[in-house]
Amino acid sequence: MKRRLAALILLSGVWPVQGSAADAMPPWSERGITGDLDFDALANADTDPLPELVALGEKLFKAKFVAEDGAGRPEATQAIVPTKRRRPSALAFQRMAGPDANSCASCHNEPGIGGSGAFTANVFVSEGFESADFDSIDPQFSNERGTVALEGAGLIELLGREMTADLRAQRHAALQKARETKTPVTVSLETKGVGFGKLRAEPDGSLDVSGLEGIDDDLTLRPFGQKGVFASLRQFTVNAMNDHHGIEAQERFGKTWTGTDDFDGDGVTDEMSIGQVSALVAWQATRPAPGRMTDLPADWQKAATRGESLFSEIGCTECHRPSLPLESLRFEDPSPFEGAGTLRRADVAKPIVLDLAELDWVKALPRDDKGRVLVPLFGDLKRHKITDASRDTLGNELLSQRFVARDVFMTSELWGVGTTAPYGHRGDLTTLNEVIEAHGGEAAEATRAYTALEETDRQSVIAFLRSLEIPE
Amino acid sequence: MSRYAIRFILTLTALALPAAALAEDAPRPVSSAPVPHFVEEAAKAGIEHTYDGAWEFFVGGGVAIFDCNGDRRPDMFLAGGKNPAQLYENRSPTGGALAFKARDIGLTDRQVTRVLGAYPLDFDNDGIVDLAVLRLGENLLLKGKGDCRFEEANRALAFDGGREWTTGFSAVWEQGQTYPTLAFGNYVDRSKPGSPWGTCHDNFLFRPDGTDKLRYDEATRLTPGYCALSMLFTDWNRSGEPSLRISNDRQYYRGGEEQLWAVPPGRPPRAYRRADGWRHLKIWGMGIASIDLNDDGYPEYALTSMGDTKLQTLDAEADETVPVYRDIAFDRGATAHRPYTGDDLRPSTGWHSEFQDVNNDTLWDLFIAKGNVEAMPDFAAFDPDDLLLGQWDEKFVEVGDTAGIALNRRGRGAGLADFNMDGLLDLVVVNRAGPVSLFRNVGAGTAEQPRPLGNWLAVEIRQERHQPNRYGVGAKISVKIGNRSVVRDVQIGAGHASGQLGFVHFGLGVSERAQVRIRWPDGDWSHAYRVFANSHVIIERGADKARLWYPE
Repeated sequence: MKRRLAALILLSGVWPVQGSAADAMPPWSERGITGDLDFDALANADTDPLPELVALGEKLFKAKFVAEDGAGRPEATQAIVPTKRRRPSALAFQRMAGPDANSCASCHNEPGIGGSGAFTANVFVSEGFESADFDSIDPQFSNERGTVALEGAGLIELLGREMTADLRAQRHAALQKARETKTPVTVSLETKGVGFGKLRAEPDGSLDVSGLEGIDDDLTLRPFGQKGVFASLRQFTVNAMNDHHGIEAQERFGKTWTGTDDFDGDGVTDEMSIGQVSALVAWQATRPAPGRMTDLPADWQKAATRGESLFSEIGCTECHRPSLPLESLRFEDPSPFEGAGTLRRADVAKPIVLDLAELDWVKALPRDDKGRVLVPLFGDLKRHKITDASRDTLGNELLSQRFVARDVFMTSELWGVGTTAPYGHRGDLTTLNEVIEAHGGEAAEATRAYTALEETDRQSVIAFLRSLEIPE
Repeated sequence: MSRYAIRFILTLTALALPAAALAEDAPRPVSSAPVPHFVEEAAKAGIEHTYDGAWEFFVGGGVAIFDCNGDRRPDMFLAGGKNPAQLYENRSPTGGALAFKARDIGLTDRQVTRVLGAYPLDFDNDGIVDLAVLRLGENLLLKGKGDCRFEEANRALAFDGGREWTTGFSAVWEQGQTYPTLAFGNYVDRSKPGSPWGTCHDNFLFRPDGTDKLRYDEATRLTPGYCALSMLFTDWNRSGEPSLRISNDRQYYRGGEEQLWAVPPGRPPRAYRRADGWRHLKIWGMGIASIDLNDDGYPEYALTSMGDTKLQTLDAEADETVPVYRDIAFDRGATAHRPYTGDDLRPSTGWHSEFQDVNNDTLWDLFIAKGNVEAMPDFAAFDPDDLLLGQWDEKFVEVGDTAGIALNRRGRGAGLADFNMDGLLDLVVVNRAGPVSLFRNVGAGTAEQPRPLGNWLAVEIRQERHQPNRYGVGAKISVKIGNRSVVRDVQIGAGHASGQLGFVHFGLGVSERAQVRIRWPDGDWSHAYRVFANSHVIIERGADKARLWYPE
């Protein structure tokens, strides 16, 4: 039997799905989690693991989780670190503190499954430690956030990994030089043309990181989340499954790190296996990148062409870079930069390898003269201060999130922005013009340039942005 | 009848066996916390050292772990008893097999022999770590000169090293003092009639003279002494004024007990008595370990002995002036009263003890060095060291054998430190009349392919710009992960003749971030430093941000 067969959907074995009840499920079963994959078998498969992973991933992404799947977390909070509730929850589901959704797709659904969400799909982000059971939209308890699209997320993660590796190599070189020369070495960090401030290495191996800009002190580029606080789709998935659904992944909430296989106390053990998380990762990582409308009317095309030039001229592309080059399309799961609590490379004998180069939509992406794929993200994967005293609309939060100041956000990737209204991290800006004019802080100059444009030119910028679409 | 036979009879009659008996029939618990794997590689690492000697060296056998050459990697000074003490410089590649090289430290043979233990500290505030060396005979204060060289400073500091048999040490910077107060714990006074029975020596407290120049002209006697084998300055009541806890060997005292001394600044020390709430406890006290197990701000104490280990917590009857302790070792599964593997059912003999997080799961684990005194027939001959892993149900589970540290050696002093800077605490054990054991912690992996366990953080604190006590001895490091704060004090003392100074290790479990606050020795709290997991950080008093350090 080929190894591939061993990887086919399993209902028992090393990573069981809710015991043996699953394999007895009738066709009318309401269960959302109905299949599993053997991670090691997939990692060692002779054939492409992608079809099986994506099939299960899509099924899980669309599934409406039920109590028997482990939906709900009566004894656990939404925190990314396993945290017990201080008191029982009065409600199994609750739109503020969560669990707030039955399905991933119930929010990520515009223009299709995996896409963004309307204001109705906003979530309320909280660390889940203090006041974890808040039942108010009062911003002193949480940050309200719109649902972002997942299209192209695999390429974003790969860019983030390459930039992390590049920046760490620069750090290593600076430390080595400082040690060798016995003198301090200050370096300007830059990767893929994006600068991340300065780093001073001392001869004793210590680092002054106070000059870093737009990235965490550990030089891990975390491209996901509107604050740029999640390094990988895997980490994000494990977080979100607990937060939004109360489905607790074994790799973080299982016995190894909590002493119990039912940390959330809902009677369902080991609610999500590493194979199931991998399936969700694979499905998200292979979502086609957003593109551009190709059948625009002539007047729109003309305006969009003009608008794209203006977009660059007025300085928007300082942060919303049209593209970043990607060296490799080999998506390894897990990522080499995970910490404990998300499956790590060291936790498995071999990673699952997804070759994104084989995907038709990837083949269609432009490449530079070095053969690198130019990922048309319109972003720089860097955090910026985006508000100031005169333009504070985007600074309407009271809580910092995971060490990121309240007025600092990751540059939004604008690919697909034409189909992901509403805008702003709270989804409370109804038009592109509104969100452009809300930019302050580091973007203040570009905003001033935009507002100084003639109305027709401003409309051209909008025409350009509206042409960046997520195809249905 | 030989002294050993007498000791054996006394021991048998007094052992706290009920707890042990109750536990005998129960199936051995299995750890749900991940078990780290240790690989013994002392010989491969270049460590060839044995602690040995006559009966005076049945006790002692310590190791001082500190950075002697400024590269921030922990080096080791190993006591040798009749053999010369030896300093080993750490040459371990990051994340790789352990490697050490013996170094000449610039001392005479006389100075490095008859050494029972050593503790690192910077007594002269010059930023270079010094050593307090415990000897059979004159104790030594060794001034660090950098590059792992030392010179004796007794005369320069007017320090009388005495002629005692010194087996315990602790140091603290008392409030308002520029230089540290040193406590030396002494064992049997061999010169007294009737020795060794009932002839315990007084202990000594050396306070700096209060001038700008460091001098220890005069010692304060801590009378009575009860044959101390471990000492620790500890802020047991969160008063900001450390008291001196002394663990004593009942084998030789008469009418003695465990001790706690109040050491008020500028005033004579005073032993807590029954009237003060201090409860009489007689054990063969050999090593102290201290940690705040239940996150209530008050430390718990593990006290090694023959037979049951004690684990003490403040009782409900206690308050901030009344130190009433109760034993929770049995409830927590931490008695470690006999060997956990093999067929030797005789009681254990415990020595060095130390709380650390060896699997980085945020739960404190307890290491206990074990080993027969010499050849005491009614105590286990095969008496492997314990590794008690903390569990989420607040109990401890023994994993010494599955972790790979259950060797047939007679452990004494020890230390857990990250010698190869990979985020996993390695282990050195000084054995009596046997080779030093050096275990590399390979986490969930093997020697060939180590694998990490939980996330971790290593914290070094400095207060160079503001205070003379540069390494912040007496500070408290609080690491907040989620709703929980894991706390550890920066202390010099405890264990069995063994101490360390350097990075303080914390397991972070699945947290990728932490907030670190320091309560500096003068009581001031720092702001919260935001740090990421799996890194070494240096926090200097008054700094806005933590500096990072990389061993690469």
